[in-house]
Amino acid sequence: MKACLNFEDILQVGQPQLLEIQRLGETLPNAEMPEACAIFSRQVRIIEGVVVQTYGVAASLTRKSDDLNEIAEIWSRMSFFCQSALQILSGLKIKYPSCGTSELYDLILDYKLACDKRDKGVLEESACQKMDFPPGLFPEMT
Amino acid sequence: MSEDGFSAGLVSRNDIAELAGLFDRFEFAFDPRSLSAKEAESDFDDALRKLFDERVAPKFPNLSFVNFHGKVKSLCRAYLKKNAPP
Repeated sequence: MKACLNFEDILQVGQPQLLEIQRLGETLPNAEMPEACAIFSRQVRIIEGVVVQTYGVAASLTRKSDDLNEIAEIWSRMSFFCQSALQILSGLKIKYPSCGTSELYDLILDYKLACDKRDKGVLEESACQKMDFPPGLFPEMT
Repeated sequence: MSEDGFSAGLVSRNDIAELAGLFDRFEFAFDPRSLSAKEAESDFDDALRKLFDERVAPKFPNLSFVNFHGKVKSLCRAYLKKNAPP
């Protein structure tokens, strides 16, 4: 099969699910209505799946890549995706506190911090590429 | 020169191999919240700090830990590339 997606394409796949939970938050009356919480909880589970799966794709792509700039870009974009989700959820976790929104918010925050940590680490690695290290310190690669 | 593409250094290829194994378990973990990833990262940081304090800093006092840390992570990436499972 020749068809393939880049990471931006994969992030775009998750975007409608973020917009959907935002739409639900604006249209459903409140969490007291049993159906509202059920509908909302279903969307929470979908977004959790999207974030976890997309993060896994990001980790897999960065393992395959040789280019530190590309790796930093992947983590930066994944972090931005998480940030978009957090912005939407920050209001919804107050409006729908018992529908899984707080747990989802915490999970996405952890994933965002993991992205930021990896992005920062890659930038530190990039800076070291231009440095001269003492001969005999590291094993040489062929 | 060994089969894995590394020659000897103050930091040995065995050091890099062990650190690369830990690096692999946390840097590319599908679940960054997993206990396995957190333990691997903690073990990596401890091992790297010990290596730096005991062997590297006494011989190269002008080298910072931050730069050593960054370079070792790049060597781990390179090691994993060269020794990827078929």
